[in-house]
Amino acid sequence: MYAKPIWAMPEMLRIDALEAGYDDGGRVLHGLDLAVREGERVALMGRNGMGKTSLLRSVMGHLRLHRGSIRFGQQDISGLPTYRISNLGIAYVPQGREIFGDLTVEENLRLGLLGKRTTARTLSPFVFDRFPILATRRHQRAGTLSGGEQQQLAVARALVGRPRLLLLDEPSEGIQPSIVQSMAAALASIAHEEGIALVLVEHSLQVVKALAERCLFMQNGCVVAQGATTELDVNSDLVLRHLSV
Amino acid sequence: MTQAIILALDATNFVLALLLVTLGLVIIFGLMNVINMAHGELFLLGAYSVYTVQALGGTYWLALAITPAVLALIGLLIEEWVIRHVYHRFIDTILATWGISIAIKQAVIIGYGPAALQVNNPIPGAIDILGAIYPAFRVFVMLASVAAAGAVFLLFYRTDWGLMARAVIANRSMASNLGINTRRMDRLTFALGAALAGLAGAVMAPLMSVDPQMGVGFLVPAFLSILVGGTGTLLGTLLGTSLIAGGTTVVSSVWSQIVAQIVVFSVAIVVIRIFPQGLTGGRR
Repeated sequence: MYAKPIWAMPEMLRIDALEAGYDDGGRVLHGLDLAVREGERVALMGRNGMGKTSLLRSVMGHLRLHRGSIRFGQQDISGLPTYRISNLGIAYVPQGREIFGDLTVEENLRLGLLGKRTTARTLSPFVFDRFPILATRRHQRAGTLSGGEQQQLAVARALVGRPRLLLLDEPSEGIQPSIVQSMAAALASIAHEEGIALVLVEHSLQVVKALAERCLFMQNGCVVAQGATTELDVNSDLVLRHLSV
Repeated sequence: MTQAIILALDATNFVLALLLVTLGLVIIFGLMNVINMAHGELFLLGAYSVYTVQALGGTYWLALAITPAVLALIGLLIEEWVIRHVYHRFIDTILATWGISIAIKQAVIIGYGPAALQVNNPIPGAIDILGAIYPAFRVFVMLASVAAAGAVFLLFYRTDWGLMARAVIANRSMASNLGINTRRMDRLTFALGAALAGLAGAVMAPLMSVDPQMGVGFLVPAFLSILVGGTGTLLGTLLGTSLIAGGTTVVSSVWSQIVAQIVVFSVAIVVIRIFPQGLTGGRR
């Protein structure tokens, strides 16, 4: 897919000095800077409550921005409504997956298309090739799927809209460890083949290493350190400093 | 036997009339979580719209065709000017829509006076149903209600728009993550709810005395139906209206209207106590 190495690709997402939080004025992010290049796969790690999920939610326009800016490609997306951010090509799979449990698998997937202005309104067979289990469960209520199947549905629903950037929050949460690795591998190959950039919040070092090239560590609403995921292991200095309790 | 058939027809008639009034209310509440206290006044405007068209020389059928469109437009304006500013404050939406209801009622009194008006019945005759002689227009009201409920069902369960609406009802923020314009859905939903209220008013106008208080009489049983039936599905609305309107008609045929209201309200309170989410919402 790539003619150029990642470091030579243009910047896709750029966040500068971001301060964001809740409507009542409480702040979670304190001057955060982050840049993601096209096709790059970045992981965010850090202890609970450091602002990882808040960062993803700010990009999607769910949190109030007090200061700083978020740019996607050439466009300033700070303050845009969520549906427009989504339509620019950013997909979000939130923690807990948030599939529509009362709707069928197929209806869930179609909802990934209906809000988009550019994509076709019918599902392409691509999604069922990638996630064969969803083809078998196509007419089943999504709420009856297992945790791993629901996670695949959530990811597939995000991918059918042809995003350029995928935000994934804790994809391994509540899923059997045996499935986690194969899912991470499948996702890495899709992202690579489609040239989709990835920002991943994850606590499992294994998943981070399988999915991301670069890992950023967050503390108190800022990015405080980073490293290549190939250099990370349970005993590395960065991991001990930012993850161990 | 004829008595029983007439009672059954009366009960069905009331159930379907109440269903027609409740549809718009339950759609707005389900999707936007707004309790529209002005629903009764939108119903009222539907009836006055028929009166106006007839006074200008138009037929009832013309009025029936125009009214939902007029009310949809009024709904859009109310949404744009008032509702969208108070969405996220649940209590304030009740207060704001209550204010709108007062404003509409007073505007109607200024424009048409406080007295009751009469709308011509376009189908005056009676028809024979299994030996019972029944007013033809009441049969039309039942058919109109079934048609409206069927159309709403098809809209929500057989169209792309309906699928998006159900997604917004289930999880508003996730729907917006997927690119669905929830603002636009809100606007259209409120217009649809207003149009349905107007349609109900227009359909019922020939059976009622058209006066500025006519909205209130249906609003209370409509709210009660929603509480009893639950807001999740249209089936809940049908269950709720059946219990409230069917119960009232049957009991009042034996005892007085007042006893009927007391019995039905008591049963409703017990149902809500056992099923706080309504009959279709599951037991707590």
